[in-house]
Amino acid sequence: MKIKELISELQDFYLLSARGLLVAVKKPFYLKDMIEQMDYAGAGSFVIIFLVSIFTGMALSLQLSAELSSLGLKMYTGKVVGISIIREIGPVTAALVYAGRVGSGIASELGSMILGHQIDSLRVFGVDPLKKLVTPRILSSIIMLPVLTIIGDVVSLCGGYYIAVFVSHQSGTFYWSSIRDVLTFENVFAGSVKPFIFGYLIACISCYMGLSTKGGSKGLRKSTTRAVVVSIVMIIVSDFILTRILLYVLGFSV
Amino acid sequence: MIVFDKVWFSYGIHHVLKDISFTVGENERIAILGESGEGKTTILKLILGLIRPDAGKIIIDGEDITNKTEDELREVRMKFSIVFQEGALFDSLNVKENVAFCLREYSKLSEDEIDHKVRELLRIVGVEQAIELMPDELSGGMHRRVAIARSLAACKPKMFLYDEATTGLDPVNADIICKLILDLSKNGRGLILVTHKIFDAVKIAERFMFLKDGIILFDGDKEELVHSTVPDIQIYLNEVSFSGKANKSGG
Ligand SMILES: Nc1ncnc2c1ncn2[C@@H]1O[C@H](COP(=O)(O)OP(=O)(O)OP(=O)(O)O)[C@@H](O)[C@H]1O
Ligand SMILES: [Mg+2]
Repeated sequence: MKIKELISELQDFYLLSARGLLVAVKKPFYLKDMIEQMDYAGAGSFVIIFLVSIFTGMALSLQLSAELSSLGLKMYTGKVVGISIIREIGPVTAALVYAGRVGSGIASELGSMILGHQIDSLRVFGVDPLKKLVTPRILSSIIMLPVLTIIGDVVSLCGGYYIAVFVSHQSGTFYWSSIRDVLTFENVFAGSVKPFIFGYLIACISCYMGLSTKGGSKGLRKSTTRAVVVSIVMIIVSDFILTRILLYVLGFSV
Repeated sequence: MIVFDKVWFSYGIHHVLKDISFTVGENERIAILGESGEGKTTILKLILGLIRPDAGKIIIDGEDITNKTEDELREVRMKFSIVFQEGALFDSLNVKENVAFCLREYSKLSEDEIDHKVRELLRIVGVEQAIELMPDELSGGMHRRVAIARSLAACKPKMFLYDEATTGLDPVNADIICKLILDLSKNGRGLILVTHKIFDAVKIAERFMFLKDGIILFDGDKEELVHSTVPDIQIYLNEVSFSGKANKSGG
C-alpha cells in the first residue's frame, strides 16, 4: 500500500515536472505572472544571496590560507578558492538559499490557494493551473537561479580576495590571476550547468508539494516543510551525481 | 440538463455518495439540503468535473463528462457559474482584478471597458465602494457578493451554482443575497443552491433534495417538503416554523 502510494506520487511528480515545462510553448503565455515571479525569486533574493556568498567566500579563504600557509603553499589560495566556489560551493549555496526562500514561498502560496478553493476557481474559469501557476515558477527559477549563482560566485570571490589580501597579506594581482587561470571552459561549464538543474528541481518539488496540500493549516505546514526538506536533500544528492557525471564527461580522472 | 446516473463517490475509504441518481432540468431552481459533511459540495464539484466519480455517469446536456480530459471539460464548465463556499476570491488580487479576471482571460476589452464592466457588476451586487479593497479587507457578506459578481463576469452561464451562499451571514445580509440570487435567475436561468439553511432555501428554490448518509432521502417541491414525515427533515422544518413565528411576533 505504502509503496503503491509512493509510486503514484512519483508518477504525479514526473507528470507535473514534464508538463510544466512542455506547456510553456503553448498559448496563452502568462508573461505578467512570469515577470512577477522573476522579480520575487530573483530581485527579491539578491540581498540574502549577497550576504551568504560574501561570508562563505571569506570563511573559505580564511580557512584555506591558514591551512595552506602552514604547508607553505599560500600562493595556491586563489586557485583553490576559485575552483571550489565556481564548481561546487557557489551553485550549492545559492540553490540552498533559493530553496529556503523561494521554494517555501511557492509551496505555501500554492498550498493556501488549494485550501481556499482558488485553484478550483481557476479550473472553473477554464484556466489551466499548471500553465498559469506552475510554468511561470519553473521558468523563472530556471532563469533566475543561474543569474543569482553567478552573482553569488562573484561576491564570494571578492570576499575571498578581501581575506587573502588584507588578512593573509597575499598579492591581490596574483589572487586575481590565479582566479583567471581557474576560469577555464570546463570549470565554468561545470559550474553553470548545475544551477539550471537545481532551479528546475526546486521549482518542480515546491509546486508539487504546494499543490498536493490537504488538511488545513497543519497540512500547509507539512507541505511547506516537505518542499524545503526534499529540495535540500535533492540539491545535495543531485550535486554529487552531477559532479560525477561532469567530471566524467569533461574527461577528468579522479 | 444535468443527469446523475447511479453515481458513487468516495474519499479514500470514506463513501460520500452512494448510488445517487437525479435529473435537473434546464431552468429549475433546486436546493440541495443536508447536514454539514454530507457531500453537498461534492455534488457541485462532480457537476463541474473537478473530481471524478468512482462509478456511475454524469451527463451534462447529453454529454457524458466522466471521462473527459481537462481541456474538453473547459467547454462544459463554461455552461455554469459557481460561487464557492468560501467565495474563493484570489487573495493576491484586489476586488477589481478578481472581478476582471475572466474578462481579461477571455475578452479583448480595453482597460476602460473592463473598468466600466467591473463597476457595473459590482453595482448589481451592491458593493461598488469596495472596488479597490483586497479580499481580506472585506466583510463576510461583501466577500460573498464580490464572489457572485465575479461569477457573473464568467461569460454567459446557463445555470448558476451556489455553495452555501448565505451561510455565516446575518439575516439581513442573507436576505439581500437571496434576493440577488433570485433576481439573477429571473430570466429563466436555472440554479442549484447548496445549503443547510432551509429558511433561505424556501425563499429561492422550487424543488428540494435532502441528502443524508450518501443517499437522496427526499426529492420534491415545497408542498411535499412541508408535509414530509422524514424525521431528519422535520428537525429542519421546526427551524423554519420557529423563525416564521419569530418574524410574526416581531412584526
Ligand atoms: N479533499 C477531501 N479529502 C478527504 N475527504 C474530504 C475532502 N473533501 C471533503 N471530504 C469529506 O467528504 C465529505 C463530504 O464533504 P462535502 O464538502 O461535500 O460536505 P458538505 O455537505 O459540503 O458540508 P458543508 O455543509 O460543511 O460544506 C465530508 O465528510 C468530508 O469529510
Ligand atoms: Mg460544503
